[in-house]
Amino acid sequence: MNKYRKWLTAGVVMLSTGLFAACSNSNSSQVKSGYKPSVKLSQTYHNPNETNSTYNNGTLKLGEFYNSPFAGITDPALTSMEEDTDMFSPGGGDQLFFVNNKDEVVNGGLANLKLDKKAKTATVTVRNNAKWSNGMPVTAKDVEYAYEVLANKDSKTQQYDSDMESIKGLAAYHTGKAKTISGITMPNGPKGKVTVLHFSNFAPSLKYAGNSVMWDAVEPYEYEKNVPIGQLSSSKQVRKDPIFTGPYKMSKMVDGESTSWVPNQYYFGKKAQIKHINIQVVSGDNFYSSLKAKKFDFPVSDVTNPASEFPNVKNLSDYKVVGNLGTSYDYFGFNLGHLNPKNQTNVMDPHMKMGNVKLRQAMMYALDIGTLRKKFDYGLGWFPNTLISPYYKQYYNSKTPYYNYNMKKANQLLDQAGYNKHGKWRTQPNGKPLTINFAGPQGNASTNAQYEYYLQQWRKLGLNAQFTSGKPLEFNKQYSILEKPKQNQIDVWQGAFSVSAEPTPTGEYGASATFNMGHFATKRNTQLLNNMNNSKAWNNNYRTKQFKDWQTYMANQAAYVPTSMEMNWNPVNQRVKGYSLATDNNEFWSNLALTASNPK
Amino acid sequence: MWKTILRRVLIMIPELIILSVLVFLMAKAMPGDPFTGQINPKDSLTQIHHLMRINGLYDPWYEQYWHWVVHLFHGDLGTSYEYQEPVTRIIAQRAGNTLWLALLTMILTYVIALPLGIYAGRHEGHLQDTLVRIYTYATMSVPFFVVLVLGSWIFGYGLNWFPTSGSVSPTASGFLPVLLSRLGHMILPAVLGALFATSSITQYLRSGIIDAKHSDYVMTAQSKGVPMKAIYKHHIFRNALLPIAAFAGYSITGLLGGSIFVEQIFSYPGMGLLFLNAINYRDYTVITALVLLYGFLNLMGTLLSDIALSAIDPRVRVK
Repeated sequence: MNKYRKWLTAGVVMLSTGLFAACSNSNSSQVKSGYKPSVKLSQTYHNPNETNSTYNNGTLKLGEFYNSPFAGITDPALTSMEEDTDMFSPGGGDQLFFVNNKDEVVNGGLANLKLDKKAKTATVTVRNNAKWSNGMPVTAKDVEYAYEVLANKDSKTQQYDSDMESIKGLAAYHTGKAKTISGITMPNGPKGKVTVLHFSNFAPSLKYAGNSVMWDAVEPYEYEKNVPIGQLSSSKQVRKDPIFTGPYKMSKMVDGESTSWVPNQYYFGKKAQIKHINIQVVSGDNFYSSLKAKKFDFPVSDVTNPASEFPNVKNLSDYKVVGNLGTSYDYFGFNLGHLNPKNQTNVMDPHMKMGNVKLRQAMMYALDIGTLRKKFDYGLGWFPNTLISPYYKQYYNSKTPYYNYNMKKANQLLDQAGYNKHGKWRTQPNGKPLTINFAGPQGNASTNAQYEYYLQQWRKLGLNAQFTSGKPLEFNKQYSILEKPKQNQIDVWQGAFSVSAEPTPTGEYGASATFNMGHFATKRNTQLLNNMNNSKAWNNNYRTKQFKDWQTYMANQAAYVPTSMEMNWNPVNQRVKGYSLATDNNEFWSNLALTASNPK
Repeated sequence: MWKTILRRVLIMIPELIILSVLVFLMAKAMPGDPFTGQINPKDSLTQIHHLMRINGLYDPWYEQYWHWVVHLFHGDLGTSYEYQEPVTRIIAQRAGNTLWLALLTMILTYVIALPLGIYAGRHEGHLQDTLVRIYTYATMSVPFFVVLVLGSWIFGYGLNWFPTSGSVSPTASGFLPVLLSRLGHMILPAVLGALFATSSITQYLRSGIIDAKHSDYVMTAQSKGVPMKAIYKHHIFRNALLPIAAFAGYSITGLLGGSIFVEQIFSYPGMGLLFLNAINYRDYTVITALVLLYGFLNLMGTLLSDIALSAIDPRVRVK
């Protein structure tokens, strides 16, 4: 399954429902519960039963649990909807590379990658037997054409990434100043197999799938060449008769509802074992009912399953729950400055209300987030210590200190910083009144209860904290405020990011990052972020150190503090064999087999 | 009569223009834009500006409105930001699903409600009437979504009698299998929807019949020895239908409105879900097109209801 294009999204992914009152009763200063997921889930379902061709001639039934129909855009360069990606995933997402268990690109996929640090080039060599599902060969032009589609000035794709502009000539092509991309060459011609990308800045993140610099999919040029790029997303080639490079090809699509798949005879890799796959959109409200009625073998996506369903689903005897550490997280962001629109650079303002680091730290020490996670997340979620998930084993810094619940320390920090009490509330060190405006996107009852808990704890600390506009904000409203270059309506907010397989956090927290909406920008932060992808960072030890140092630095600064991470999990029916969420399971779809005629 | 209808249709034109301006302005006044929360945050502001600019979202509202009106007169309602397809094509896809489901629901509603209303009205105060009233009060008092969830849980997931999502099975191919599959997918939501919708029509009809039964003209007919069957046919039923006729126009034009509850619970891709998603995603082109369509249908519904009323009751004339 394609997890390499899980773009960062803004929103809150708070989990579950439950009773809130218990959280406020804890007064322990070193509560460790909720710091790790309490459930143990295997990445793989080891089914000992035998498979055979009779069973595999049947149909694998998959559910896509979403509350809206899918858009039907099969082209990964044109869709940014996760639902579309899921519905067309048996087609392989036209993905170029295979990866190892560290998400590093390895040989053996549709194409191989060779990086040349001296020449600053990436050479993509498409394998000789690579074909589209209509029998057409995959060529060098198909690799190049993906960039044309992404960067074309008429293209309405949301997948174009400014980081890609380190490919020479891409920026000029994007603005329409050049008709071709000068930094992409095809030494053996468009119908050859070799494409060379020339970079102005050659980052070590290129070694990893999911990086924001290189696109990791092909685009069928010969099949689409007569369609203007601006009209590609509504064309027959993308909508009605799409072609794929993966183990399956689409046999039928019911608009917005379902897709059906049969093996792609031209697939270069391991041949698909199951002869038919159906994927159907089902309301997320019917998640448990559908599985209990054995209507599906498993949900297509393992990242969107609601945690609140986990306690029931784990008890279904016919399903085995598998899981993996997730990469998305919720966080607190603090408003520390503004964005200079002239040079698109974030600038910190020391006079901002939240500008004092001790105030931010005190606010974090006042919250017992570990207990919140324990009470609300059904064992799937945990209170993280850093902004990098432990999924990225190499880069995660387990030694970064937590903001353990400690009201005494919180009070001390505020006293030291001069936030003294005058009457009921503390005032700013300059004696001016202090009112802290908190915003969180509207959620379910438990989400809102957690917001109330934050306010309650901050008020206990003597801080006059309140909701911006008196209640949680509608999602768009919150982000329309935060996206303003300068705003003073929100001082602290709850947000969420979902991170791709390559975790460089420049896009979220860089000095010029759009989504650095708290405008945190220091020399040290910029230096550490730059170091992650400078020339020295080709050395793994050096790069890892930069990541770890950055995590500790960010924790100390408390400009953005993570509050929740969670396991991805998926129930798999016991008739399925070969299901694995392992990162290096590159033949996910071909490895699947059936051991019974219908879901058990 | 024809003059009146023509005048009403002409009045609809300025009404629709005012509605379109209001809808356009209100859609633009909503916080956020079609790209908020969906765009790759690693993008620079330049890319966001680029997308906003090529979609004309930075133009003054009156310019955007003017472009929209010009395109509208060419049959182009714009392109959906979310689906990246012409809005007309998306509406056409969804309208078919919604229309068939709503038509089946309406037929079932009237098939159930008319006999029930007449039966209860004829047997006023008897056990049969009480049973019908209990039924109507029960369906009125239970929230619609509860009926839908319970129905799908019992008959869809529990007993497995009906499909629970979509409008057609992915495996159905060929005209007849597809037709039967579509029908199969519609039956459960249509029956549940009809059971819910019958209550008001049954009550109106029952009340109408009881009122008519006690009216002077019925007593006169009875005293003249006219058979009850003929009295019901020519006097009571016709008069009792007046309130039903008043709703008929709305019911017909409302067929395209869709039901968010039904479509969400049964994952049935129709107009209701389209509208809801368009609002959530700030898909302005879809929002404006749908609101304008609904506005037009409502105006048509009013007109149709007035015409139907005047056809049934000669005392009522559209002026």
